[in-house]
Amino acid sequence: MTFTANSSELDRLEAQRKRARVKKRCLQAAIYALMIVIAAILLFPYLHMILKSLMTAEEVDSPYGSYFPKTPQFINYVTVFDTGGYAKGFIWTMIIILFNLVAVPFSATLIGYSFAKLKWKGRSAMFAIMLGTMMLPAAVTQLPLYIIFSKIGFLNTVLPFTVPNLFGGGAVYIFLIVQFMRGIPAELENAAKIDGANAFTRYMRIVLPLCKPVLVYVMVQVFLAYWGDYYGPLVYLTAADSPKTLALILYNFITDNSSGTKINVLMAGAVFMSVIPTILFGIFQRQLIEGVTMGGLKG
Amino acid sequence: MNDTRTGSGRLLAKKKDGVRKFLKDNYTGWLFNMPLTVGLLVFTLIPVGYSLYISLWSTNCINIWQWRGFDNYIRMFTVDSREMGIVLLNTFYYVVVSVPLGLVVSYMLAALVNNSMVKGVKVFRILYYLPCMIPAVASALLWSDLMRFTANPATQGILNKVLVLFGMSPSRWFAGEGPSAIASLFFINLWGAGGGMLLWLSAFKNIDKGLYEAADIEGAGRVKKFLLITIPMSTPMIFYNLIMSVIGSIQYTGTLMYSGGPLPGRGSDGQSLYMLGVKIYNTSFKIPAARGYAAALAWFMLAVIGAITAVLFKTSKWVFYGEEG
Repeated sequence: MTFTANSSELDRLEAQRKRARVKKRCLQAAIYALMIVIAAILLFPYLHMILKSLMTAEEVDSPYGSYFPKTPQFINYVTVFDTGGYAKGFIWTMIIILFNLVAVPFSATLIGYSFAKLKWKGRSAMFAIMLGTMMLPAAVTQLPLYIIFSKIGFLNTVLPFTVPNLFGGGAVYIFLIVQFMRGIPAELENAAKIDGANAFTRYMRIVLPLCKPVLVYVMVQVFLAYWGDYYGPLVYLTAADSPKTLALILYNFITDNSSGTKINVLMAGAVFMSVIPTILFGIFQRQLIEGVTMGGLKG
Repeated sequence: MNDTRTGSGRLLAKKKDGVRKFLKDNYTGWLFNMPLTVGLLVFTLIPVGYSLYISLWSTNCINIWQWRGFDNYIRMFTVDSREMGIVLLNTFYYVVVSVPLGLVVSYMLAALVNNSMVKGVKVFRILYYLPCMIPAVASALLWSDLMRFTANPATQGILNKVLVLFGMSPSRWFAGEGPSAIASLFFINLWGAGGGMLLWLSAFKNIDKGLYEAADIEGAGRVKKFLLITIPMSTPMIFYNLIMSVIGSIQYTGTLMYSGGPLPGRGSDGQSLYMLGVKIYNTSFKIPAARGYAAALAWFMLAVIGAITAVLFKTSKWVFYGEEG
């Protein structure tokens, strides 16, 4: 390479580079501004919820009150647990979730192992049937399931939210686990096979421990799904004395607030319901985002 | 006689051996798969068959069983045609606006935080996703408060105060009548665009970096690269998300949270928010003797979903699956 540029040409280049730099700076500033505005819009409702949950009853009623609570009323959080039925709701929700945190990973990995690692006649047919059921709208099965559950005494108990999860917990989770298990090299199992380890031992000792990343994702998803689900409880838990989940309690408050519970107390309940998933997201952020990538289309 | 018996006996033995061999070769697989086999049978296949069966009756599924044949399916377009018209129009309106709006906005959001020009984009990705961590009921409470409409201008929700600030008249939002009620749902849905954003970001990650490098050598600008590489290369994901959100939106039952009463989810005037998913819920669980009809409605929904999915697949020539595909 030869440098033939004279000084005037160098100046011109320098000016050009300078202009490009200024242009880039402006673009960067514009992008920052846009991102901050969007973040403010998206996060404002969250902030609103927190502020309202810390107000007194007078403050939420007063039309001329400030947007910020004068002194934060953390008592609202105690009230919602005490009189709002949240304590019981929390316990029932956690019973359902804890059961499923064991049941779903266990049954889904057994099924996943049969698809990803074992060879048997009917495997691809079963896999196709399973994927086919993913497309089936819940509306088709919800009424017959309700009737079946009513006949075997499952209504107004937590059983409709727990027992079905002993059978895989949903095609999406199984599909993700199969995808993940297919990536585990067969050599790892071959050595154990030569030593005479049966399929269950290989599943327990070799494959299952390696599935930790996908299981973390599945477990967090299971938690979030049952933590926030109001529709299932709305269908199956209709009796006054049935075990109500947090989401159902809040649902009942929004659609029929005949007890006249104040919005500040309700907001405290909503904040509690939102903070737990937010913390979970904070902890498992990497796995959750990677899980989305795994669930998406490949290539 | 004697001969044939031994023959058939031998055949039986052979068959038995075949079964035994089949079991020997395959029992581990089926054993591991047992939870799924049983689960699909009990919680999917039997309910599906049962649903088809009760859709042919006028029944409460307890003690009233009157054979109706296909009357329940005909009923949607005759006796119940007025309400079905409203419900289908609302559902159509919701799907046709909400799906493209959600996809486009989340796509733009993803494109914005996919840039490598500024530091801290990762933080913004997390911030944008946070609204998705708020459970649906909590967000319904929150939006009911933000969109509160009162006669007294001072006690309006904050969104109406903003409207008034800009010289517009306050809105009744989802409690209103007509198309504006569903329009407020679009607004609420956009708040959760961060969920879609994550899906798009994962699609962007899968795009071959070499394409961008080649474009850089050719001297292509940012806009050109976005239009000619990013968008075409993410069409498989666009197609996947399109299908998933269309299917999801047809089944939408979220209005149950925005309107109460004996038949919830219909809107303040009994029809402005009424969509197919909610109608199936109400017919199934709020009107006891109409369960046969509810089952028929669910099958109608399945048919609609199937037809729309088929059309989307038939018109999917625009999806780019790479050179060799």
